[in-house]
Amino acid sequence: MQPLALFSLASQNASWLSTRQATIANNVANANTPGYRAADVQPFSAVLSHLNLPMATTSAGHIQPASFGGGKVNVKTADSWDVLYSGNSVDLEQEMMKAGDVNRAHALNVNITRSFHQMLMNAVKS
Amino acid sequence: MVIDPLVSSLRIAGSGLQSQSARLRIVAENIANAQSTGSAAGSDPYARKTITFESALDRASGENLVAVKSVGVDATPFRTEHLPGNPAADDKGDVKLPNVDLLFEMADMREANRSYEANLQVVKQSREMISQTIDLLRT
Repeated sequence: MQPLALFSLASQNASWLSTRQATIANNVANANTPGYRAADVQPFSAVLSHLNLPMATTSAGHIQPASFGGGKVNVKTADSWDVLYSGNSVDLEQEMMKAGDVNRAHALNVNITRSFHQMLMNAVKS
Repeated sequence: MVIDPLVSSLRIAGSGLQSQSARLRIVAENIANAQSTGSAAGSDPYARKTITFESALDRASGENLVAVKSVGVDATPFRTEHLPGNPAADDKGDVKLPNVDLLFEMADMREANRSYEANLQVVKQSREMISQTIDLLRT
């Protein structure tokens, strides 16, 4: 693996994290909607191992699908901590924990990118 | 159109804040009218209002926002009290009082408050993630 692949990996991870944050926002906003089932995104390892080949555009009318992370999967009822009588499977505590997780992972990702960038700049400048 | 997921999470949480404050408004109306009787003799008093939400797809951006589905009226029967001096009393001296139970309203208010806080938390975290990314440019 080339060392510079770290940048593409970091940006892929950041994009996955922001998709996950949007999904969490969706769950929290719909915490009182009857019949709403909580959703989550596929784990990052599944996104990485999946070969992400772009579709060929042979005509101007072809639209590229959103790169990745559009693949939302519904959480199984068993995975949710609480299912209400109204059929709503959002648990606010669980969502807050997931959001904290995403936040921490994003801080890690940003800091890794920053230090790698610094390393690269040091090599270029000296 | 592809919108940055972090920006769309701000919009989604905003729609959550909006619907929870609509819910708080209904609770406030119910509590304020907990003693409102009808104007004419024997007429019906204020009926408790209810609110339901639905998940609404915003077609322009593909976001799943939340919206108020309907504001309904609670169908539980009214309380009656024997108050012959009241202008709304019927010929037997009974007055119909609203079907508002303050205990329910308080519980509803607390729940709306909790959901509102959760949405605010999401806004805070998304903003933090955005500013972390912007800070990358400053180093």
